[in-house]
Amino acid sequence: MSNVAGLPHAATASATLVLAIIFPVVGILLSFVLGGRFVERIALILLPIGLAIASTIFVQVNFGYHSLEYIVGGWTPPLGIALRADGPSAAMMMAAAIVICAVGIFARADFRTAADGSETRASFAFWILLLAVWSAMNLIFVGADLFTLYVALELLTFAAVPLVSLDGRAETLQAALRYLIFAVLGAVFYLVGAALLYGAYGTLDIAILSERVRADPTTIVAGAVMTAGLLAKTALFPLHLWLPPAHAGAPAAASAVLSALVVKGSFFLLVRLWFDVMPGVLGMAGTQILGILGAAAILFGNVLALRQPRLKLLVAYSTVAQIGYLFLMFPLAFSATSSTLQSNSALTGGILQAISHATAKGAMFLSAGLMYSALGHDRISGLSGVGRLLPMTVVAFTLGGVSLIGLPPSGGFLAKWLLLGAAIASGQWWWAATMLAGGLLTSGYMFIVLSRAMTPAHKPLSLQATVPRYQQAAALALALCSLMLGLVAFGSFDVAQISRPTTASIGLQ
Amino acid sequence: MMDARILLGAALALPLGLLFACLSSWVRKRMSSWLAIAPFPAFACALFAVHDVPLSFGTRQLRLTFVQDTPGAILLGVAALLWITSGSYASACLRGQPNRRRFAVCWLMALTGCIGVFLAADMVSFYFMLALLTLGAGGLIIHDDTPEAWRAGAVYVGLALLAESLLLPAFIMLAMNASDGLLIRDAIAVLPTSPQRDLIIALLVAGFGIKAALVPLHFWMPLAYTAAPIPAAAVLSGAVVKASVLGLIRFLPLGTAMPDWGTALVAAGLLGAFYGVAIGITQKNPKTVLAYSSVSQMGFIVAVIGTGVSAGDDGVALAVAFYAGHHVMVKGALFLAVGVITAGGARPMWVLLPAAIVGLGLGGLPLTRGALAKLAVKGPFGDGFAGTLAMLSAAGTTLLMLYFLRRLAESAKRDESAPAALVRPWLLMALLSMAVPWMVYEALPIGTWQDALSPYALWELSWPMLLGGVFTLALWRWHDRLPRVPVGDIAAGISSTTRVTVACGRMLEQADRVLRLWPVAGASLLIVTILLGLAMLAGR
Amino acid sequence: MNAATWFGLCGAALGGVGLFGFSTNPDPLRKILAFNLVGSGAFLIFGVIAKRGAAVGLGGDPVPQALVITAIVVAFAATALAIALLLRLFEEAGEATLDSNNSDDIRRNEF
Repeated sequence: MSNVAGLPHAATASATLVLAIIFPVVGILLSFVLGGRFVERIALILLPIGLAIASTIFVQVNFGYHSLEYIVGGWTPPLGIALRADGPSAAMMMAAAIVICAVGIFARADFRTAADGSETRASFAFWILLLAVWSAMNLIFVGADLFTLYVALELLTFAAVPLVSLDGRAETLQAALRYLIFAVLGAVFYLVGAALLYGAYGTLDIAILSERVRADPTTIVAGAVMTAGLLAKTALFPLHLWLPPAHAGAPAAASAVLSALVVKGSFFLLVRLWFDVMPGVLGMAGTQILGILGAAAILFGNVLALRQPRLKLLVAYSTVAQIGYLFLMFPLAFSATSSTLQSNSALTGGILQAISHATAKGAMFLSAGLMYSALGHDRISGLSGVGRLLPMTVVAFTLGGVSLIGLPPSGGFLAKWLLLGAAIASGQWWWAATMLAGGLLTSGYMFIVLSRAMTPAHKPLSLQATVPRYQQAAALALALCSLMLGLVAFGSFDVAQISRPTTASIGLQ
Repeated sequence: MMDARILLGAALALPLGLLFACLSSWVRKRMSSWLAIAPFPAFACALFAVHDVPLSFGTRQLRLTFVQDTPGAILLGVAALLWITSGSYASACLRGQPNRRRFAVCWLMALTGCIGVFLAADMVSFYFMLALLTLGAGGLIIHDDTPEAWRAGAVYVGLALLAESLLLPAFIMLAMNASDGLLIRDAIAVLPTSPQRDLIIALLVAGFGIKAALVPLHFWMPLAYTAAPIPAAAVLSGAVVKASVLGLIRFLPLGTAMPDWGTALVAAGLLGAFYGVAIGITQKNPKTVLAYSSVSQMGFIVAVIGTGVSAGDDGVALAVAFYAGHHVMVKGALFLAVGVITAGGARPMWVLLPAAIVGLGLGGLPLTRGALAKLAVKGPFGDGFAGTLAMLSAAGTTLLMLYFLRRLAESAKRDESAPAALVRPWLLMALLSMAVPWMVYEALPIGTWQDALSPYALWELSWPMLLGGVFTLALWRWHDRLPRVPVGDIAAGISSTTRVTVACGRMLEQADRVLRLWPVAGASLLIVTILLGLAMLAGR
Repeated sequence: MNAATWFGLCGAALGGVGLFGFSTNPDPLRKILAFNLVGSGAFLIFGVIAKRGAAVGLGGDPVPQALVITAIVVAFAATALAIALLLRLFEEAGEATLDSNNSDDIRRNEF
């Protein structure tokens, strides 16, 4: 974006973008070399470092009011590769860092290396995969050309798939294989679209493409194919079917990372594609189709969540529904007068929804995992008495749910306010009604779980395994992040609007 | 006098601070004994804080403002008194109970929300406090952990969330229209001229109507008040439900005459007033009778607001606040009376006589503050058809109160005396509910003592009571012929719709299973691609 | 119709065949082969673009060739991971199938 004339905000060069991607990779390499008990330690050392890097980028972008850029190797696009961090990138990187830190602290108890230093396969794999997911997510957020983003997307999939089958059971292996096959097909669709775009315009760099792109048949086919592929990876209705078994079968820490972050990666690519590369191509009908799929996802996901007998499956179907909310952003950001997608309060609401869902769902999966390990099962009907046994955990679950329902002061409420405001302002009442109905359905299954958890047990519960306090604290901290996210409006942030041609501040007007 | 801002801050800070202190388990263990302390700053604020001095914090983009105006001050004051006495009652009856920590946390949540709603001056803090209030109240309702309590809690929270879903778009539209901050007052000033006026008012009336138990969405009230423990029921029926009354006063543009909306409100309100009496006399449990009496009284209050809306008279706000404030104290006192009598009614007359005076005051017993309240609201109705209906509703209230007294007497546990720790709050509440309205009446520009004691006024008040007495005699004769209506009348009919919804859910699950077939998933991928492509081609 | 167009049509046909195979074959190994077919179709399209974008005197545009090499490596890694999972699944479950056996009605081709 610094190469495009006429934009008010210039980009400054910053090597922190590369550091954000390289540090986890260095950690992976060191883990392979050193092995044993060093794997966990390297990961834990990298957690605060990565958080510091993400915070630096966030502060520079939001308080310096400019986007960050890094030209790899000094070769400028279109021949070389650029990395760019703007408002949405910085916000998502911050969210990813926070979630991974919380998950890392949580997973110390589950994926501990043995006392004599010998490694177990699961703990070795988990820490390496966690770092790989982090690196891939950062690359997705700062990648500035479509092919780098393809590589990042595939890296993310390869890191996420083994996380599903960490415990080695046949069902989880099946779920992992299904996920991989469907995700790779989606990625190949994306590749075909990228090929067509290159053939039409001669470049894949996002900034240069955004100048050259026109709404001709090649571009339209490319856009459709890429979107379909990315929808398969994001598990939007009706392509959501790999998600519930995969997310429910993974261990608690892995489920949290999968639901909170991995699906947001391909969603972020969709935002980049439609808001940055081709805002004028999607058209009214296209945005309404995405909105309809989102509404269907909300309906199906919430109703199916209500019917689940197992807690982890309920939370996984809740993810399916919440992904639908993210896609409601597209029709709401569409301006009928200029027939393009605008970077307005609907985009801010969508990004906020993604961040608040990431923290809330992370907290909910971590809590569900704790209840599973404490009780030995996660049947909802058998949850009685868990409220007395694990109070912090149930509170974390509840606060996550409060953010999903959209009660103040959570981030979900702020996102809902912005999205509803955009819906009402553009006269699209039906999306407003969909969002409100979704909130009511969410409160339905939250109430079901809470009512079971808070009733006293008929016979005294036996703890299958002791649950350390710091695990509960990690889940609760993540839930509190989600709850307090709405207070970010108190700060004078222009969160999603940095380096956009039109700037608007995030607030409630 | 202390600065108003300090008082406002203290009123909110103490309950909120105690709520946060409950994070420590040491505090949580002892919190249930300290419940009565929390509302004291709020009471001081209601008495001493200068009106219309705002306490605000936040940035230019998001500013939370709290301010005290006269209707708010009345309601805050009486509600604080109710919270204090019910708090000490709760501390006494919670001693040794297993769930008292959860009760204390939910109590503090509801208290904070209640005070916050009365003081909120901008839409975001109003919505936030309302949500906090709902969650706290829900937690209080389910305290006993019986299936009925959970069902009542589910209905309450479900309908409250529905109401809040209706209010949220209305608030957003108001904020968009005002275009300059989130203050309620500013938004309401531009409301009458806004193009979306009717839609906004419809949403506001629907949302606040559900929370005010307007028929037909009133059925959460009998379920909730029957299931909740006594002190919780006292504050729920007394203070919590007045949040919706205050919402209506603040959010409806009472300065502009809107006759169609006003008539609708009057009609709905009076319907609720009579409906509550009609169902109330079929109930056995005195708590349920009181709940239906609340339905009836809230309907009446909404009708009074309706007269204000149709006449464009914003002096109605004060009269409504006075009437509602009186109702706060009366209902609270009556619920505490039920608690005292069921705990031990060895000498029932000690309870029944004050209860009679308090309760009949609701109907407008002359020389009581109920009379003042009735006089205050009689004016707006005028002398026409609506006025007659209003007077008849007073008759109905008298009928219901006498029926309640009878049910109360029958439920007394004759062999024990109630412990003093329970009796003291009840007596305090009864005395306050007799004395306070006189003092408030003096302070407000509603009317004077002499008006209240004039022969004309006495006649106006007496004939509905006499009519009520006649109805009561009829009821005593033919009581057994009345049908048995389940608690929460309409709610029983809702259960048939749950079967339909469960069937729909099963259908969706079946559809999901079809979508799971690999060929269908592959085809979906192709279809989504083609649809998107066609849509973009068409829109080119 | 020149060679580039023929190859382009072949690429599209490969993609179609691959998608069809993906949807209709229940055996996971065939699904893996199917997504490889779709990938090969994509690579052919890249090749066509390289040819059509060639400057005067050069055989082909080098950028799509670089992209194709990267994409081939990525597809190879995906296939390797998929086969490894399949082998592990076969060891664990005794049969390599993606149908789930723990639902109340077992249907072929079901997720």
